[in-house]
Amino acid sequence: MEISIINGSPKPGHSTSGYIIDLIVPRISEGNILEIYNISRGNLQEGQFVKIQNCDVLVLAFPLYVDSIPSHMLRFMAELEERGFASKNTMVYCIINNGFFEGKQNRIATMQVKNWCKRTGLVWGQAIGAGAGEMIPMLKDIPMGHGPNKSIFNVLECFSANIMGKKAGEDIYFSPDWPRWLWKIQASFCVWYPRARANKLTKRDLYAAGK
Amino acid sequence: MNLIVHDLENLTFNKIFNFNDRENYIISDNGSIKSCTGCFGCWIKTPGTCVIKDGYENTGRLFSKADNVLIFSRCYYGGYSPFVKNVLDRSISYLLPFFKIKNNETHHKQRYKNKTRLYVYFYGEQVTQDEMETARNLVRANGINFNVAEYKVVFTDTAEQAGREVAAQWK
Ligand SMILES: Cc1cc2nc3c(=O)[nH]c(=O)nc-3n(C[C@H](O)[C@H](O)[C@H](O)COP(=O)(O)O)c2cc1C
Repeated sequence: MEISIINGSPKPGHSTSGYIIDLIVPRISEGNILEIYNISRGNLQEGQFVKIQNCDVLVLAFPLYVDSIPSHMLRFMAELEERGFASKNTMVYCIINNGFFEGKQNRIATMQVKNWCKRTGLVWGQAIGAGAGEMIPMLKDIPMGHGPNKSIFNVLECFSANIMGKKAGEDIYFSPDWPRWLWKIQASFCVWYPRARANKLTKRDLYAAGK
Repeated sequence: MNLIVHDLENLTFNKIFNFNDRENYIISDNGSIKSCTGCFGCWIKTPGTCVIKDGYENTGRLFSKADNVLIFSRCYYGGYSPFVKNVLDRSISYLLPFFKIKNNETHHKQRYKNKTRLYVYFYGEQVTQDEMETARNLVRANGINFNVAEYKVVFTDTAEQAGREVAAQWK
């Protein structure tokens, strides 16, 4: 099968979408041709569009923005709808991750992708929605299937098996196996405050009104 | 003040709606908007303001001045059009990076004390039932995240119909 994977994170460097794609790739490579496209690194070339329009499996990976599909991803999907696909059998899977703890907050974006699938005339496969997205790559040194990486391991195994068999599956929403209260404190003390300090801002500065 | 975000040509918009400039602030597509790059600069570098200077960097603060936010958008797959969504993506500085738990779900804390009302008019001729369902869910979720006092979702076939709908209420 030809599998096109879209990385819809606009981040120039590391992203959670990219991290999850890297976890999936070895699980779906055997016997398949994989291409990964980074849609925020400038417009895709004509040849790249043609490959996507002819793929057997399309995997859309993107972050949740304001409860839904980010605008740049939306533009890209609208362009794909307009161009159309060679086969009506292309199966669509998606990997959505969000900042809030609960992966199920990705369900509205999933509904949007399903609506897009209908308009574009493609077959719906499955969505996985990961909560606490910014935390996920920070767990990379903990073995998969253990501790906070327990759920993600199970979800990725099931998701990859469905892609390999080009089968549809139930949408799955999950979060790291970690207490939410601890995650919430860590977000302030391990992420926002240190990042503010690196920009020479105090905690108080973060509460300022916009200019 | 009413904050109005729309994706129509300005000429068309002005023909359909007659919002004056005194009580209304109108955000429309001048072709220069950049998409969010996910850098969180609006939270940890220049709090409250986006770091991309393209004329759309202040939208978060504009939300804090609005009694009502009115959105006119073509419906795309049960959500906003790319331009309107772009404006919303660039507005997250309206909120703080810090989290709170509301109804057992995580959301952001408020940067400002105001509470706006959110009215969304989706137009488009062949909007499906599924898309309407998605759009209602979306605006409800936006309403919770932006901590609005009230929200409303209206679907019309055309922008002109939306114009007639609002004429009575917002003139
Ligand atoms: C403009 C913007 C809007 C966001 N809106 C939401 C949201 O509504 N809900 C949520 O849970 N996370 C939201 N997030 C957080 C991202 O989904 C989260 O940071 C994600 O892990 C980024 O994934 P990536 O690294 O693949 O880009 C938002 C982030 C940005 C930059």
